[in-house]
Amino acid sequence: MKIKQLTNDKLGETVFCAKHSSGLEIRVMPKKGYTSAYAVFGVKYGSIDTAVMNDGGEFETIPEGTAHFLEHKLFESEDLNAFERFAKTGASANAYTSFEKTAYLFKGSENIGESLEILLDFVQNPYFTQQTVEKEQGIIGQEIRMYQDLPDWQVMFNLLKALYANHPVRIDIAGTQESIAKIDADLLYRLYKSFYNPANMVLSVVGAIEPQEVFDIVDRCIKPAEGRPAERKFEKESAKPVRDYIEEHLSVATKQFLLGYKEDISEPLLSLEDEIASQIMLEAIAGKSSPLFKKLLDEELIDMGFGSELFNGFGFSCVMLGGISADPEKTASTLREEIKRIQKDGIDPAAFDRAKRKLYGRMVMGYNDIDDTANLMMNLYFNEYEPFAELEACKSVTLEKAQERLAVLKDDAVALSIISPI
Amino acid sequence: MPQVKTLAEQVRLVSVETDSFKTSRIIVSMAMPMGENAAANSLLIYLLKRSCKAYPDFSLLNGKLDELYGASLSAAVSKIGDSQVLSLSLTCLDDRFALTEESIAEQCAELLANMIFSPNCKSGSFGAENLAAEKRLLIQRIEEELNDKRTYALNKCLEYMCKNEPCGRDKYGTVEEINAVKMADVYAAWKNMLSTAVFQITVVGGAGADNIGDIFTKRFAKIERSPVKSETVFIQRGRHFNRYEESFPVNQGKLVIGFRAGMQSSRDNIFAITVMNDIFGMGTYSKLFMNVREKLSLAYYCWSKLLASKGIVLVEGGIDTDKEKKVSAEILSQLSDLRNGKTDPEVLVSSKRSLKERYTFTTPEGICSWYASQVLEDKILTPASIIEGVEAVTMEQVCEAAKKLSIDTIFMLKAQEEAENED
Repeated sequence: MKIKQLTNDKLGETVFCAKHSSGLEIRVMPKKGYTSAYAVFGVKYGSIDTAVMNDGGEFETIPEGTAHFLEHKLFESEDLNAFERFAKTGASANAYTSFEKTAYLFKGSENIGESLEILLDFVQNPYFTQQTVEKEQGIIGQEIRMYQDLPDWQVMFNLLKALYANHPVRIDIAGTQESIAKIDADLLYRLYKSFYNPANMVLSVVGAIEPQEVFDIVDRCIKPAEGRPAERKFEKESAKPVRDYIEEHLSVATKQFLLGYKEDISEPLLSLEDEIASQIMLEAIAGKSSPLFKKLLDEELIDMGFGSELFNGFGFSCVMLGGISADPEKTASTLREEIKRIQKDGIDPAAFDRAKRKLYGRMVMGYNDIDDTANLMMNLYFNEYEPFAELEACKSVTLEKAQERLAVLKDDAVALSIISPI
Repeated sequence: MPQVKTLAEQVRLVSVETDSFKTSRIIVSMAMPMGENAAANSLLIYLLKRSCKAYPDFSLLNGKLDELYGASLSAAVSKIGDSQVLSLSLTCLDDRFALTEESIAEQCAELLANMIFSPNCKSGSFGAENLAAEKRLLIQRIEEELNDKRTYALNKCLEYMCKNEPCGRDKYGTVEEINAVKMADVYAAWKNMLSTAVFQITVVGGAGADNIGDIFTKRFAKIERSPVKSETVFIQRGRHFNRYEESFPVNQGKLVIGFRAGMQSSRDNIFAITVMNDIFGMGTYSKLFMNVREKLSLAYYCWSKLLASKGIVLVEGGIDTDKEKKVSAEILSQLSDLRNGKTDPEVLVSSKRSLKERYTFTTPEGICSWYASQVLEDKILTPASIIEGVEAVTMEQVCEAAKKLSIDTIFMLKAQEEAENED
C-alpha cells in the first residue's frame, strides 16, 4: 500500500492515508499522550438508500430501514457474537446508522490491534437466520416506539416530510413497523453483498496506535469483494416544499418548532466551503450573541435551547431553525422577517468575524476527542475531501460567501413543523 | 495525579495539567444543603451566567465568548446526595492555537470569577427584567422535563423513593417556589453561596493552574467564609415497597425500579457495588442486556444505574405497558441469579476490563467531570484507584453486594391504550 502523510502544522496533527487493493480507504491519526484509540469502520449505506441497483443495471426499491436492520444484525454470528468477542479485549463497541452511512466502532486502551481485527472480521462476516431476524424485529420495534415519543425527533422528521416529496430523507432511519416486517434473511444477504464492498467503505482510526499496525491488520483481514459497489441515484427534488405547515400532538408540556428553508440544489452535494459558509452565516445571524437571539428571548418567544443548522447530504439541503416556543407561528414569522431584512441590509461584518472565529475554535477543539476526529475523517472521505479540509475551508470563507449562502434562503420555500401538547 | 490546593476554607482547587488536549476546561462547583432555598439558588446560577459587571448584557457576554474562539460556557444545577450543586463551567481553546498571542484560559478564568464575585447587580438587584426572564426559562426547563419520558420516569421514581429525604426535592425547586422568589431572596442566596457553599474549582488542560488559583484566591480573600457541609441520609434497606404509576398518551411505557444498595456512605463497599451494578445491567455482557433485550426481545434498552452518592440503584427499561409484570419478573430473576452466583466467571473478567476502559477518560470533559463530582468528598479518588479497587473484587463480593439490594419503589409510566392502538 502506498501511504500518504498529511500534516497540519498549526494543529500539530498528522494523518496517514492509504488505499488498500480491495478499494478500502484507510485513515489513521496517531495521537501523542493518549492511552486509548477509537476506530470506526464505515459503509456508505444509510437510510436514504431505499433503492439498489440489480444485476440488470436498474434501480429496485427495497424496504425502508434495511441499513439500520443490518447494523443490528451484523453483531450476530454463528459462534460468539461481536459484543462477546469485544468483551474479551475490554473495548466498548457500538454502531450507528444515519441518513447516509452505517458505522461500526470501538474504543479501547488495551489489545487495540486485536479489537481492530474483531471489528474488521465481524463486519465482513454476516450471519442471520430467519429466527434471529424475527427476534430483531421485536427489539427494533421497541426502538421505533421509543423514537415516536421523542418530540425532538418527531419535529425534525415531520419537517422533512413537509419539505421533501420523494427524497427518502423524509423517512425515519429505522423504518416503520410495517417496513421492517418485510425484511427477511435472504434480503439482508443480498443487500449486504451490494453495499458492503470495501470500495464503498472506510476505516478511520485515531489515538494510541501506530499507523503501520493498522495497515498490516487491514492487509491481513480485508477480503476483496466481487462486483462493483452500489451507486446512488440523484433525483432532483422540486424547489418548493410539499406543504408549508405540519403539526403533531404529542404528550409534551410545551410547544416546539422547526422552521425549514429548502434549498434548490442541482448537484447532489454542496461543496465543503458552502457548508461551512452556511454555518458561519447562521451563527452570525441567529447565534447567542446576535441581536435576533436577544430579541426573541426578550419577547419570550424562545429559550436558551434555540438553535439553527444546515442539514444536508446526498440530494438534500435545508436550513433548520427552532426550539421550544410558546408561540411558534409568531417566532417563525419574526425569523422570516429578520432573515429578509438581513438579506437586504447585509450581514454585520463584526458578527461575521466573531462567528468565524468561534467556528474555527470549535473545529480545533473537536480534535481533542478521538471519537469526533475519527468520525470527521470518515465523513470527509465519504464526501471526497482530504483530512483537515474543513479547517482550510473555514479560513477561506469570506463575508461575501456568507452573504451568498444567506441569499439561498428563499421565503417561498419554507415549511413550519410544530409539536403541540395533546 | 491531580494537584489539590486549598484556596480558602472549604475552597479547593483540583487541577490536572496536561498538554495532550487542545483545550482547557474549568468547572466551578458550589455545593449547599438541598432545602427551601433550592429555587432561589437555581435562579441565581442562571442569573450569574446571563451577564456580569464587565459584560452587563446577555449579547455582550456571548460576544466575548465568541471572540475567545468560541469558548463554551454552561451553568447547571444538580443533586449530589442530599446536596444541591450549582456549577459554572467553561471550555476554551489552548493558547498555542490562538491566532494572536494571548492567554485565553486566564481570560476565561477571570471571566468566571467575575460572574461569581462581580455579577451584574446594583444595590441588591440583578435587574427585575433579568429575574423575570430567568424565572420564565427555569419554569420552562422544568416543564420540558415531561417531554423526555425516560428522564421523567427516572426522576419520578427517585422523587417517590426519597420523598422524606432532601434529595427527593426537585433539584430546581418547584414551579410555585420559583414563582414566589423575590429579588431579595436571590441576593441573599448569592451572599449565602459565597459565604457557606463548599467550592471546588476543577481545571484540566494546558492552563496554568497556579495562575487560575491566584485569580480565585484574591477574590475569596474579601469574603468572610463560614462553610456548611451537608450530610447525606443513607437508607440501607427498602421496607415494604411501593408502586406508583402515571399514564400518558405515548407509544412506549417506561418501567423504573429503585433499589437501596445497602451503603452507609458514598464510598461504602464502592468497588464491589460498582462491579455488581455493571454485571447486573450496565455492560453488553450484563444480565439485563443479555436476557431482557437479547434473549426475550422485551426492550430496546434495559439498564441499571448506580447513584453512589445516595446508595441507590435504578433499573430502567422502555417496554410495552402490558408486559410490565413479565419484565419485572425477569429483572428480579436475573438479580436472583446474580445473588446466587449463577454468573459466568468470564463475565466478571469482562466487566473488570470494561470498567477499566470506562475509567480511562479520553476527554478533558470526562476527566474534569470525574473530579468535579467529588466536590463533597474529603478525599479525592483518582480513576486509577477505582480501576485498582475494581480489579480486586471477587465473585463472592459481587454476590454479597447483590444480596444487599432491596426494592424500595417501582414507578411505571404507562402508555394509554388509545395511543397503542394507533400503530
